[in-house]
Amino acid sequence: MSEPRQPPSRIVVAGGGQVGVLAAIGLRRALPTCEVVVIGLAPGPSAFADRASSSLPFTNKLHDRLGIEEAQLVLAAGGSYRLATRYAGWGGEGQHGLVPYGGAVDPALQTRFAQQWGGGPQNVTGDRPAGSIAEVLVNAGRFAPPPPDADTPISEVEYALRWNQPAYHGVLVEHAQRAGVAHVSGMIAAIQLDARGGIASIAIDGHGNIEADLFIDCTGPGAVLASALPEFDVIDWHDASPIRRVLVAPPGQPMLHLEDRISLLPEGWLCELAGRDGLQTMLAVGETVGDDAARAALLTEPAASLPVSPGCARTAWVGNVIALGDAAVRCEPLGFLPLDLAHRQLDLLLEMLPGKDVVPSERAEYNRRAGLMFDAVRDLLAMHYAAPRARKVFPNAQTPAAVQVMLDQFARRGRLPFQEEAALLKQEQASLLAALGFPQGLSTREQHLAQQDITAAQADFAAKSQAALAFAPPYGQWLASVLRTNQAQSG
Amino acid sequence: MIGSGAKPVRVVVLGGGTAGWMTAAGLARMLGDRVTVHLVESEDIGIVGVGEATLPHIRGFVEKLGISEAEFMRATHATYKLGIDFRDFGKIGDSYIHPFGSFGEELGGVGFHHYWLELQRRGLAEPLGDYSFCVAAALANKFAPPADDMSLASSYGYAYQFDATLFGPFMREFGLSIGVTRHEGMVTQVERDGESGNVTALTLEDGRQLEGDLFVDCSGFRSRILGQELGEEWEDWTHWLPCDRAAAMPCKHATDEIRPYTTATAMPAGWRWQIPLQNRMGNGYVFSSAFIDEDDACETIRKASEGEPLADPRILRFRPGRRRHSWSHNVIAVGLASGFLEPLESTSIYLAQMAITYLIELFPDGAIDPADRDEFNRLVDMEYDRVRDFLILHYHATTRDDSEFWNHVRTMTVPDSLAGKMELWRQAGRIEKYSDGLFYDASWIAVYLGQGLMPERHDPRTGLVDPERLRSATDRLRSEIASSVSQMPAHTEYLRRNNARLAEPA
Repeated sequence: MSEPRQPPSRIVVAGGGQVGVLAAIGLRRALPTCEVVVIGLAPGPSAFADRASSSLPFTNKLHDRLGIEEAQLVLAAGGSYRLATRYAGWGGEGQHGLVPYGGAVDPALQTRFAQQWGGGPQNVTGDRPAGSIAEVLVNAGRFAPPPPDADTPISEVEYALRWNQPAYHGVLVEHAQRAGVAHVSGMIAAIQLDARGGIASIAIDGHGNIEADLFIDCTGPGAVLASALPEFDVIDWHDASPIRRVLVAPPGQPMLHLEDRISLLPEGWLCELAGRDGLQTMLAVGETVGDDAARAALLTEPAASLPVSPGCARTAWVGNVIALGDAAVRCEPLGFLPLDLAHRQLDLLLEMLPGKDVVPSERAEYNRRAGLMFDAVRDLLAMHYAAPRARKVFPNAQTPAAVQVMLDQFARRGRLPFQEEAALLKQEQASLLAALGFPQGLSTREQHLAQQDITAAQADFAAKSQAALAFAPPYGQWLASVLRTNQAQSG
Repeated sequence: MIGSGAKPVRVVVLGGGTAGWMTAAGLARMLGDRVTVHLVESEDIGIVGVGEATLPHIRGFVEKLGISEAEFMRATHATYKLGIDFRDFGKIGDSYIHPFGSFGEELGGVGFHHYWLELQRRGLAEPLGDYSFCVAAALANKFAPPADDMSLASSYGYAYQFDATLFGPFMREFGLSIGVTRHEGMVTQVERDGESGNVTALTLEDGRQLEGDLFVDCSGFRSRILGQELGEEWEDWTHWLPCDRAAAMPCKHATDEIRPYTTATAMPAGWRWQIPLQNRMGNGYVFSSAFIDEDDACETIRKASEGEPLADPRILRFRPGRRRHSWSHNVIAVGLASGFLEPLESTSIYLAQMAITYLIELFPDGAIDPADRDEFNRLVDMEYDRVRDFLILHYHATTRDDSEFWNHVRTMTVPDSLAGKMELWRQAGRIEKYSDGLFYDASWIAVYLGQGLMPERHDPRTGLVDPERLRSATDRLRSEIASSVSQMPAHTEYLRRNNARLAEPA
């Protein structure tokens, strides 16, 4: 007869950043009888997941499940919406393309359709129609989140949220407190290992020894707990990822925009994140780019210069210690991937929630799946650096074999092999590659598709675009009305 | 160098069985003017006609070819299939349905089966199948196509049970109607390019030569081109899947009711199938010749059959395993020429369809790129390995010790890939997750629990739920299922509602 696992009595989450606090909320909600203690260590400045002001659409789903309301993030944490990311200059100077989320065209026709109609590599001078409903909305500046249960002309459009990072953190802390998560602040003075390759307890300055069944390491790139274990090991990503420094500009003017932009410059890549509190700009460079050149490319004196040493844990879960977020994967904040990856890891942990005792096969399965996630992120980053112009900017970046296979399939056949635990849907990945300037081949099957099928898809898309534009309000007006209403109600 | 640019690729298919005509029709329909398709078959070579029962994927194939379901069902005497009823596998007297559907619903991020295990521990659980719409419908002999909404009635898929000896000819008619050229004759020689080793032509007994750019070997177990000519190595899996024969004997229906599911009953040296078609019952004993001889197997199936026999038992011989590479040079094997897994989970036609789908996806438009060939072989291997592990589980997860056959499969060493999955299930009640290939969570759960392989532990969250509330929530689910199922038409009635899908009476 199968017995329920005995739940853990206490879980320690080391690290009080936005990853650690959300992990604590998730664990506490899943196990109301378990004491969840957050050790409020601030993750270092290079903790890109913990310091991210934006993520990918998966985060919205996780928030929903953990009771973090989108409306609250809009009202209390400067929340705003991104429907797509524009990649500029990756395929060549002047080239750009938009990468929307989800898939808003018929997948059967997508590849051929994308090439003939839009969505592919785009020239500034070229006059091409939009390739997705998201792009139609971005171009028109129209959007409001569609009601979740109704079937609207924009229900297929997926979006990511941006927020004011300290305010978002504050919202999470409130949630954690309401959920009964305990909080301890103080430095870790000592770590006592157990006999099974894990941790028995940690000593916190001023609080003595804290024992726990499970330790979640959200301490950032230093992985303070995990790296105390002899078995913990890091796989180096330096070959695949050429970024060694991220320079952050002081915040710019507030900006309402449905797209963000990642541009390739001769020095590195520049990410411009629009936000209600100000445009956030950062520049990521390799080791050969000096301070002067970086400053010139950033067009201002950087507020911070953060080192990056790309790599990931060989096994994120060792003994009873699970490295999560920046403690498991250290990578540059390209494409909003670090926080998305942290959230998918957390979701996996909640799916495979362990009991008081760690079961080896369960730990192995977690590590297998988390490892697939890490590989897929490394591959996704490497695709950026393999883009036609990126190869010139980052001549030393090496393309992993799996990525070479993928790029070859895409170039010759417009095909992307399925990857387990990938960050992006196939269609998103295809849009990304197109926006990065990779030429896209056509499969034999697509060459055979009849012109009337394509014409029909175009007509269908045009009708959907019209309906979407008619339905979606001007984004700025909508946001202003939401904020006004809230003010009126609370005032 | 094969047909570059606008010149169509010349495809030659060898073999006119199910795989051959599926391939020819699939390529001709999906690639149209990009290919010419020639098929060689010989009336002197019989076809195996594997797979009377299918998986839901077949519907996609038929639809993509633009064939109407009714027309297809009429031609192949097809009935609807909701799953497989496995009897006597875990132990004699046990029975469970592996449905084309799910069990219950996830709750708070925890899979339903964890809650079921918790209810069961407390003596509050009903049989797992009671919480599956698909299982309940099957056991009630009901059928209707799944709903197109988020309701319980949308929680399943369906396939067909049909006459495999009619499916090949049906595909032949269809293939010929869309431009496939058929050649009657025996291949006497395979011509090859001295330098590349590529096949250039097939020579027939009357001296005719069929030249091609791409050769698809659908010659069955002979594997005339890939195996015999190119010498592609065979990986044998008999030690894990010892069944290597079948004694097939069609019968009349014993009752008026036609079941919307296939029955697989474990036997002392294998298992026997009952596959209800429109006008007859497919019947047969899949056995291991190492544990019972052919005559005894024929005698066994004669005795076990319920309806009046329509023919004497016919012996089919096969061996489980696959070629190390299914695509070598410019030769792609589809169906038995590529590999074989016994029909316990109705995967034969799926495996052919899968290879055809990947071939279309990776179809060479110029010279064959080794990367495409590697990719094809990787995908085919992944599919075969996943199905193989799932099949082995059916034999290994048992307490049967009533015959040498069951002693062997119960105690054999299973592949590491399966041992890991079983260990995870045993220790934590969890399923190793993958999203590509065949058989996901619900299938593994159906077999594990159906065959009495109980985990030692389940999810800690289930112990925190009030058992009475859990029981009443799951009771509600059961009664919703029962009431929806009671409103469905009987399978036989639904089948007969539309004359267009009915074959002439036998």
